[in-house]
Amino acid sequence: MTTSTRDVDTSAERTAETDAAADADPAADVRRGQRPWLRGRLAARRTRRVMLAAALAVAVLAGGLMLFGAYRLTSADSARNHALTDREATEEVSGEVGDALAKVFSYTPDGVRTTELDARRLLRGEAATQYRRLYGQLRKRVTEQKLTLTTRVVHTGVVSLDDHRARLLVFLDQTSTRDGGQPSTAAAQLAVTAERRGGEWRIVRLAAR
Amino acid sequence: MRERVRALVRPPKDPVLAAAVALLVAALCFAAWGGWSWHAAADDGARAYGESRDRALSAAEQGVQNLNTLDHRNVAQGLSTWQRSTTGELRKQLADGRGEFEKQVKAAKTVTRAKVLSAALYELDERAGRAGAVVAVRTTVNAPKQKPTTKDTRMRCELTRTSGGWKLSALAQVPVGDSAGESEPGTSDQDQGKE
Repeated sequence: MTTSTRDVDTSAERTAETDAAADADPAADVRRGQRPWLRGRLAARRTRRVMLAAALAVAVLAGGLMLFGAYRLTSADSARNHALTDREATEEVSGEVGDALAKVFSYTPDGVRTTELDARRLLRGEAATQYRRLYGQLRKRVTEQKLTLTTRVVHTGVVSLDDHRARLLVFLDQTSTRDGGQPSTAAAQLAVTAERRGGEWRIVRLAAR
Repeated sequence: MRERVRALVRPPKDPVLAAAVALLVAALCFAAWGGWSWHAAADDGARAYGESRDRALSAAEQGVQNLNTLDHRNVAQGLSTWQRSTTGELRKQLADGRGEFEKQVKAAKTVTRAKVLSAALYELDERAGRAGAVVAVRTTVNAPKQKPTTKDTRMRCELTRTSGGWKLSALAQVPVGDSAGESEPGTSDQDQGKE
């Protein structure tokens, strides 16, 4: 193939392209002053396109705004917090956390092992570490001095609750006796953080309030 | 020429137009989805209930703090705040005891400040406009020629919704040995001499 043939081929292709473009785009004809009878059709098509674009823009904008609105409503703190709004879950976490507190903060001279096992099961993380330190010191005295502690939940309020995490305020009454002596009861207020592990609530943080 | 005319008379097979129509259909679907989501979110009863809960809780926190705060140099203003934070029976009791109380505080020259440590609602009846909350509060009392004393108290309060928002209708310390929900809280003792 020679250079000149290629030139001829290319020019032929170009002509074909120009023709095809003229066919596909009658507007070009109009611009060139040819086929003035097409003008009305083209104007109509342009209007249609503008309207389409406008409808498209409006639909996308409206959809976007409404989605954003829905997101703002559902992602608000008050919507994400299921305390009381999900009554069943609220009662479940209150019950489980209350039971757990009553168990780990109750002991008898003969039952130190039971309390320890309960604590190992019901407390996790920071709460477990804290409890081990405290109970480690106390354990010997419980058997030696025959100490008894009974903890009772007086009030529970759920501050926040979602599927995995809950914060509660718990009022406790703690009655202690030493070797069969006169029992004395003290009030305690605890801020409790619990996490759901394997379908059950476990206490991960405890703070006196 | 005839071919060309036919091509122009026939509805144009415009790929741009076809794409635009498809795009429009997609956009309309998107808008419908947005509308549906928005409506579902706005219509969610749990969401409205949750907002009510948060309003009642912040009213409980503010109310308990207000009713545990009083400065002898500014008793009238403090007691007016008490009145504004309360409603119903509690408001009436506070109003009845106001004169006597003002005298006592002025004589004792005490400044009482409160900080809510933690609070939670334990019940909310949105329809009846009633709520109950537990509040852990720390109060510090300054009296002349005495060291300031700090005390942590646990309290239970009831709230009632009024035209001016949620207000305290009952407030009491939770005494040791109290049973959950069995006794109605009365009014608070300002001196908080219990425990």
